[in-house]
Amino acid sequence: MAEHLGAFEQAVLLSLVRLGDEAYGRAIMQEVQSRLEREVAAGAVHATLERLQRKGLVTSRIGPGTPVRAGRPRRYYRPRPAGIRALNEARAAVDNLWHGIRWPLGAAKGRI
Amino acid sequence: MTNAVVPPAWAERLLRLLLAPADREIVSGDLLEAYRDDVHPARGRRRADLWYIRQVAWFAWRAAWLWGALLAAAVIGRDVLDRLSPTTEFYARSLVSTYTAIGIFVCAGLMAAWRSHSVAAGTLIGALTGAFAAVIVEVASPGQLAIWHDPHTLAMIDASGGLSEVFFLPLIVIVPGTMCATIGAVLGRGLAWSMRSRLSD
Repeated sequence: MAEHLGAFEQAVLLSLVRLGDEAYGRAIMQEVQSRLEREVAAGAVHATLERLQRKGLVTSRIGPGTPVRAGRPRRYYRPRPAGIRALNEARAAVDNLWHGIRWPLGAAKGRI
Repeated sequence: MTNAVVPPAWAERLLRLLLAPADREIVSGDLLEAYRDDVHPARGRRRADLWYIRQVAWFAWRAAWLWGALLAAAVIGRDVLDRLSPTTEFYARSLVSTYTAIGIFVCAGLMAAWRSHSVAAGTLIGALTGAFAAVIVEVASPGQLAIWHDPHTLAMIDASGGLSEVFFLPLIVIVPGTMCATIGAVLGRGLAWSMRSRLSD
């Protein structure tokens, strides 16, 4: 069984899938913000990436900096196979929960 | 976008202080890039600076909230114990409370310095731990008085330092607590240094 993922962890992992080779701190933060439609703290994204890396779901490499970041390096992230497995299981679990229920729920107090 | 635009220098110094050495350049670079490319052009200088300060505050909060909550729980727990199980002999309880608080401050400083390799980070987190705990205790104390305000309890509060102690002690504790955190930070910095030199051998 794969690692259980929280909602924010899923948002961060999915942003790595979407961004591909361009998944570094600021890009991930922008992607997560745009998907969740709210501002998120850079520290929250950073802490989540650190946790995902500790769990063995994500790997990272250091890349060169750019003038706009005063030459400071970027850290690029990539999901590992265990991370992809965890995402698949998270999606399957949600699909199971919603199976047989019409979406969006109607005004009739969620009756099927 | 302009590369001449910079966030408040003090906030950037604070951020670098709070981060682990391996993250210092990377995270500060990410924030600088977001500040220059996204936030400053969209919100202007003042609001971009506020955004940057909020990001730094998040890192400080993350490093201090648990210690602050533990300290507040210890103080409130001691108060509740005194209310539920009144005594005239406070020595043993005071000893336990004092050493618990010292332990929390020392651990807060040690962990912060261990992570960031900086004694100053430990001192800062110690001060924030004390301040955060003080806020919680200041909010909780009137609540406790609302529950326990019978003449016997009020007489006991008077005998053990009075109402002023209930409200001022959490604030007064910040200074010696920060000193304890600094001692912890020196230990943490030393441990981090010895581990690093052992690994490099």
